[in-house]
Amino acid sequence: MMKRHKIVLAEDNSTLSLLLKYKLEKEGYELLIAADGKQAIDLVESYNPDLILTDIMMPYFSGLEVISHVRNKLKKKTPIVVFSSAGQEDMVLKAFSLGASDFMTKPFSPNELVIRIKRLFSEFKTIG
Amino acid sequence: MHIYDYIVGAFQEAPFLIQISLVVVVAMIITIVILIIGLRATRSLLKIKDKEIANYKTQYEALIVDFLYSGDDSDEMSKSQRSIIIKLKSGVRIPSRQKSIITILSSLMDEVSGEMSDDIKSLYRKTGLAGHARHRLKSKKWHIVTKAIWELRQFGVYEGQEEVSKFITHHKREVRKEAQLYTVDLFKFEGLSFLDDLELPLSEWHQLQLLEALMTEGNPKICDIKPWLRSPNVSVILFAIKLAKIYNQFEVKEELISLLAHPNKEVRSAAISVLNDLFGYETEELLQLSKDAFSYEEVHVRTAEL
Amino acid sequence: MESSTIKIILEVFHYLFFICSFLAILSYILLSIISARETIEYVKKNSFVNYKHILSSPISPSITIIAPAYNESLNVVENVRSLLSNHYPNYNVIIVNDGSSDDSLEKLIEAYDLEYVDYEVDEKVKTQPFRKGVFKSKNPAFEKLIVVDKENGGKADALNMGLNISDSKYVACIDVDCLLLEDALQKMIKPFLEATDHKVIAAGGVIRIANSCVIKGGKLIEVNLPKNLLVQAQILEYLRAFLLGRMAWSRLNGLLVISGAFGIFDKYIALEVGGYDTNTVGEDMEIIVRMRRHMEEKNEKYKVAYIPDPLCWTEAPDNYKTLISQRNRWTRGTIETLRKHRKIAFNKNYGKFGLISYPYWLIFERLAPIIELVGLLYFGILIAFNLVHWEYAVLFIALAYLFSVLFSLVALFSEELTYNQYKKKGVGIKLILLCIIEPIILHPVILYAAIRGNIDYYFNKTKKWGAMERKGMSSGETN
Repeated sequence: MMKRHKIVLAEDNSTLSLLLKYKLEKEGYELLIAADGKQAIDLVESYNPDLILTDIMMPYFSGLEVISHVRNKLKKKTPIVVFSSAGQEDMVLKAFSLGASDFMTKPFSPNELVIRIKRLFSEFKTIG
Repeated sequence: MHIYDYIVGAFQEAPFLIQISLVVVVAMIITIVILIIGLRATRSLLKIKDKEIANYKTQYEALIVDFLYSGDDSDEMSKSQRSIIIKLKSGVRIPSRQKSIITILSSLMDEVSGEMSDDIKSLYRKTGLAGHARHRLKSKKWHIVTKAIWELRQFGVYEGQEEVSKFITHHKREVRKEAQLYTVDLFKFEGLSFLDDLELPLSEWHQLQLLEALMTEGNPKICDIKPWLRSPNVSVILFAIKLAKIYNQFEVKEELISLLAHPNKEVRSAAISVLNDLFGYETEELLQLSKDAFSYEEVHVRTAEL
Repeated sequence: MESSTIKIILEVFHYLFFICSFLAILSYILLSIISARETIEYVKKNSFVNYKHILSSPISPSITIIAPAYNESLNVVENVRSLLSNHYPNYNVIIVNDGSSDDSLEKLIEAYDLEYVDYEVDEKVKTQPFRKGVFKSKNPAFEKLIVVDKENGGKADALNMGLNISDSKYVACIDVDCLLLEDALQKMIKPFLEATDHKVIAAGGVIRIANSCVIKGGKLIEVNLPKNLLVQAQILEYLRAFLLGRMAWSRLNGLLVISGAFGIFDKYIALEVGGYDTNTVGEDMEIIVRMRRHMEEKNEKYKVAYIPDPLCWTEAPDNYKTLISQRNRWTRGTIETLRKHRKIAFNKNYGKFGLISYPYWLIFERLAPIIELVGLLYFGILIAFNLVHWEYAVLFIALAYLFSVLFSLVALFSEELTYNQYKKKGVGIKLILLCIIEPIILHPVILYAAIRGNIDYYFNKTKKWGAMERKGMSSGETN
């Protein structure tokens, strides 16, 4: 049997977290939920996920810092998708320059997220 | 009884000032005791309420997420969805539970779009929340009306348009702001028609919110903004200038140039800024022509904005 | 002297004290009522404000946080992190290292990957020159951060440097050791943008006491009531001052001071009046009074706004010595400011500002400790001459005491019903007990400090020039 992909989701809106967890678990992924950037970093360090989904604006550590930590401190190439709100275009640019793989602007459609995640995994497989 | 008689006697013999002071002291002690009891009661009440809220949140969060995923592809509701609606409906009848449900739905609306947001909107209707909100528009308390309008807007309830439009020129600022946001959020540029004869000022904060409402979802077609650029209401002009900038309205060049002679300083500098944005170097020439008309401050403002 | 003359003098004193106490009590009652109404209105208005909307707006106005730092090496890295994590789309942070003699700058360079940048400063307000100059981060995650290293000049001078460098429309001046909550800037900018028929020149925030609170990664995790009684008493004092006093004064548009620890200014006006005054220890109060005066003289409608949400948390002195020196400084700051702008007093050209706010401040803040001291001396004399009517004295003291307990309880009530920060079990009863003992533990200390402040101001030449005395930073004024 194929190993289930592990995904860390960092999001401070608990309802959205729950919603995405259901959705992605239905798609066959294993979800680890963090309510803030600090928890996200802890989860990434201890579980070594295959993908990271992170909101940009979060308590403690922002999404940008999560990316920076994963890329610079942990030296990992794990794909990272950031969620931004409208009007945070420069944040998104910064996220990309720090090494984000993709972004989605809130409000977004969970279905679209699933498609993007699938695509990322297939791309990552062919490259990796 | 001996002591009591003694006290009463002493009180009656005391000078008037002392009598008054004694009364005040006793009154204050009583107030203090009442306040302390009140504080204790409030505190335990708040504690219970907090627990309740947390409880409702987990309970309804699970139900709502469940609802959103238990649908099949058909338009009909599945059996489990129907039972969830029944559960939510009974919750809606109790104000504190209703509040919790609305909070959860609204926080999701801010984050998701597409099909999912349509599902949330329909859930909002099916649970009877939309009807409740429309009913509350009749309230005499301004904050209840405002909250109701906010809800109708958040969950895209178009049917409320007629009732809400009555509040567009309401004397209480919060109410009319929310009503204006409702029409703009739901009907985009069409909803902006209230600007045509608006006499009341639009605050900067409100303008930002209106723009935000215009920009959410899709790319609505802009209407003719020229009349607003000629409005007697300065804040409407400023708002129209912002529209010209964001939606690159090259065709309003004439109007913008004529605004350079507007008596209001803010209008003049906003006009310069947007002309510069849209037409670049041409503006420099324009400015050269009317250089004397601008104070140091305006040029300063202009460079700060660029 | 004849005994009848003494009697008359004593009689006059009697009445004076009676009138003073009556006015004080009356003003407190009025302020409580006004603040209650204002609080209810504020809570209603803000129950449906979605701060998310302004948050994502690309045209929200720019704000610069200016935080002067002087020998803050211990916490500076952590504190800057908190400043950088505010949820506002368009802001930057200027840390002004005011000639620190410790390794603050090195620590910042190391932690935030800073590099020297060439910077030409447009000196709109005269300040001490650069020492090592301006630094920015190489890491885009910290793009918002600017660190300025300059020669020592005191807090006001450091803030002025920040004013010169900022390119924003608004500046938020704060103490670097303050913890700002994430929505602080959004909430504080709102009054500026909401005004239509007047101009908001500044907005002040509430200062809350952070002692014993759990803070991690620049974020407030848990609010605790400290064990230290002196700090507890200050918490109550701050609640009274902010939830009742300032709330009411903001309703009356009569705020004369916004805390140096956290306030937002319209930069254009702050520069127009010449920035902060470097010759006073009360620069936070002085600039507001000067800005108000400027607006009154220009005859423009304006307001100093106030946001009651608990957005800024700071450490309060936890020992008598520091507390006394802090209050001593506040007293001198108040005296200096009021003296410098005495022209305003009872001057009808300045409207409510000259006829109500200034006189209130003069009598109830500036002169109150002196009146109280005179009262105590008078009481002493009465005892010495055995002239005390004990029934009057005891009743008078009881009234004063009960009233202050009552007022504290009202403040506490307001806190519970609005922000309810001290939620832990068992704290409620402690807070109530605190209301009962606070007048005994805190008030004498504050009175002593205020008297010392007066003495230092008038007689102690070395302390007279505040700016010369202390180059370090000081937390802002509360009362």
